[in-house]
Amino acid sequence: MDIRLPHLGEDSDSGTVGAIFVKQGDVVEVDQALIEIESDKAVASVPSTAAGTVTAVHVKEGDEIRAGTRIVSLEPASGQAASSVPGAAAPPPEEPLRQVTIPPRPGPPPKGPVARPTPIEGIPPAASPSIRRMARALGIDLARLAGTGHGGRIVLGDVREYIQQLQQAGTAAPEQEARPSKLAVDFSKWGPVEKTPASKVRRIIAERMSESWATVPHVFQFGDADITELMEHRRKYAPIYKERGARLTLTPMVLRAIALTLPAHPKLNSSLDEASAEIVAKKYFHVGIAVDTEAGLVVPVLRDVEQKSVFELAEEIENIAERARERKLSREDMQGGTFTLSNQGGIGGGHFTPIINKPEVAILGMGRGRKQPRLVEGALEDRVLLPLVLSHDHRVVDGADGVRFLVNLIATLEGLSEADIKPD
Amino acid sequence: MEPIKAELVVLGAGPGGYAAAFYAADLGKKVILVEKESRLGGVCLNHGCIPSKALLYATGLIGEARESAERGIAFSDPEIDVAKLRSWKDSVIHKLATGVGALADRRGVEVLTGRGHFEGSGVLRVETEGGQRFIEFENVIVALGSRPSIPKALDLGNRRVMTSNEALEVEMIPESLLVVGGGYIGMEMGTVYAALGSRVVLVEALDSILQGIDSDLVRPVLRYAKEHFDELRIRTEVRKLATKGKQIEVTTDGTDGKTTELYDRVLVSVGRRPNSDDLGLGNTKVELDERGFIRVDGQQRTADSNIFAIGDVTGGVLLAHKASKEARVAVEALVGESSIFEAVIPAVVFTHPEVAWCGLTETEALDRGIAVEVAKFPWAASGRAISVDKPDGLTKLVIEPETERILGMGIVGVGAGELISEGVALIEMGGTARDLAETVHPHPTLSETLMEAAEMFYGHATHATSRQKRKQ
Repeated sequence: MDIRLPHLGEDSDSGTVGAIFVKQGDVVEVDQALIEIESDKAVASVPSTAAGTVTAVHVKEGDEIRAGTRIVSLEPASGQAASSVPGAAAPPPEEPLRQVTIPPRPGPPPKGPVARPTPIEGIPPAASPSIRRMARALGIDLARLAGTGHGGRIVLGDVREYIQQLQQAGTAAPEQEARPSKLAVDFSKWGPVEKTPASKVRRIIAERMSESWATVPHVFQFGDADITELMEHRRKYAPIYKERGARLTLTPMVLRAIALTLPAHPKLNSSLDEASAEIVAKKYFHVGIAVDTEAGLVVPVLRDVEQKSVFELAEEIENIAERARERKLSREDMQGGTFTLSNQGGIGGGHFTPIINKPEVAILGMGRGRKQPRLVEGALEDRVLLPLVLSHDHRVVDGADGVRFLVNLIATLEGLSEADIKPD
Repeated sequence: MEPIKAELVVLGAGPGGYAAAFYAADLGKKVILVEKESRLGGVCLNHGCIPSKALLYATGLIGEARESAERGIAFSDPEIDVAKLRSWKDSVIHKLATGVGALADRRGVEVLTGRGHFEGSGVLRVETEGGQRFIEFENVIVALGSRPSIPKALDLGNRRVMTSNEALEVEMIPESLLVVGGGYIGMEMGTVYAALGSRVVLVEALDSILQGIDSDLVRPVLRYAKEHFDELRIRTEVRKLATKGKQIEVTTDGTDGKTTELYDRVLVSVGRRPNSDDLGLGNTKVELDERGFIRVDGQQRTADSNIFAIGDVTGGVLLAHKASKEARVAVEALVGESSIFEAVIPAVVFTHPEVAWCGLTETEALDRGIAVEVAKFPWAASGRAISVDKPDGLTKLVIEPETERILGMGIVGVGAGELISEGVALIEMGGTARDLAETVHPHPTLSETLMEAAEMFYGHATHATSRQKRKQ
């Protein structure tokens, strides 16, 4: 079918073709603009009167055309095709952005993030040159402000309000850290007790874990890896490792599997910048190892794990775990991790749910491998199964992403060959 | 001779260089302005913006007078005295250049006439008429501009093959003129010579004149050129130029195949190149890009931290007012302010009619995948445009659909260059279509077309109807 130029108005029936919005092969909907027509009185787009696929465009830019001129030919679409045009079903992102045009609020400014217009690269936020100059001099990034003017325009009052918020946040923070009220319970009523001050390490653990647990929505993915063959390799090579001063445990093997899997799952190796709402994808793979020491848990970090063999990882773990137990780790040794591995298998236990080491977004917990009967090709076999749990931050990593990683990780671990384990 | 010590040396006295020198002097710096020409003002004043606009104004009257006959007021054919036209144009330049010199004097800016050459990161040698002078500087701002580039194949060393520099001298009115390159310089100079009576043929290698400008803004210029130029050939390249007696034999290769013709003059306007060679930048840490433009950061600082560069020599759009703004940024940076260059730079092409735009263009939005809405108001619906008999024009706005913020403006029509500044101010202020629609504009003026374009966005312009109503 053909779409023709309709009558444009009472006194003008011809015009010049301006922009052409469609080309052969495009799928168009009813009311979608096909071309733009410039007449004496108006510049207007000509909408399609039917849905379908454009088979030919009969006009070009600059053509003088009259009402009735063929514009395009369409291959009509079935009813469904028209509604399945990409973009048509996308929910309009208007609502949150609309908030910015609300007039100034009475009363104290609200805390927390306010909707801001999406920034366009190369175009500064909507604010006058004098405001932008002032912000530069004060070191304020206007992209972090929500303006109250038309279209989210930032005015002097908005900058003043933002500075006040920063000041309030700056002075309020220490107060919030004030000590919690004293324990109301007197335990000594029921028997003897002994009080010792919590160590610095203990207090840091308490603070970090509470913060992570309170702010990060955790998702836990459970799985089991069949490590029967790995255990055989382990039996064979553990003495060789020992001769060379390293211990062949499951940790370096799982670490190797993580190193092989993580690069294909960049979300699991990222962090969320809560202030700027940006996802920070790290292009390096540094894995923290949870080490149990007398003083409590510490997490030293192994660098660039993807470049290291199982043997090299085993050597490094030996070295770093020893330094951890001797409390010889530096601050740098415990910084820069992108993912954490916590192995409790040496002690025992099955599946457990580790808490994410924020700002990382995922942690893998290993329990103890156990011999269990498993159906292999219809027959029950003794297999060694390693319980694994991946905890991930649902703000960054959705369940599907998490389980995809775990499935790949298990397959990689199970697929580690003798060659992977044998030292060079 | 003892080397001169200077807080700031500015190399080049064009609209970037003298603006930098004057501003720095106003902020209390001791400034030396080095310029190789005896006359200040640079390309813009001496061989660019100013003489071309003087000629466009003077010759524009020829067409005005001719068209006037249709309105019942007829003039006899004009008599053209080329020598007088040239000397009037020169007087314009002289007046302005003298003014720039006086402004330098009054600020105590020392002008040194000569060619500057870097001996190192802190020393400049200047070749003056009175011999070499050495300057030990704390900072330098390089503002040496650009010059017409002429491909080797077209450079015959024959004065009948001109660049814009020679064309602006109007040595004579050639019977036939070939303009190579349909950019703004070719279009403006073609317009001047066509008005003076030359038979003008313009060839452009690409598929449109005024490349990079939205096609709806180019169309009225195209219509004018088609009417007043002898011919306009797109997708046509010049293969060969050869001297043939008092003429130039030109071989072009276009959509109709090869053509060989004779022209009295050829104007080559295919682009400009930076004046970054021959000044000893190799003795500094300054870096150039692959086309020879000096690399600078957002504060106009080069890789050599004491050396700044502004204007054409740094690339981007080659416009005098961009250089002047960069001059301010550079001077503020070197006195320790946190200024960065992020200004909206308007552009104007002084053809008939003029084309002006600023901010984001529709073409750029499309290329970069930025979602925008475009509102247009045709001048055929403007009372003012019709009453001055210049209805061929268009005002358009490029609008961010969520916030309705105006991101760009484009105008084609008589006086577009004067109208665009309102768009620049609006964009700089973060203004919205609503702001513009609700701002009263005087009637009857061409400025109303801006307001009505904003009203078109909402579907309720007074003097035009829009088929699209914006959902409120």
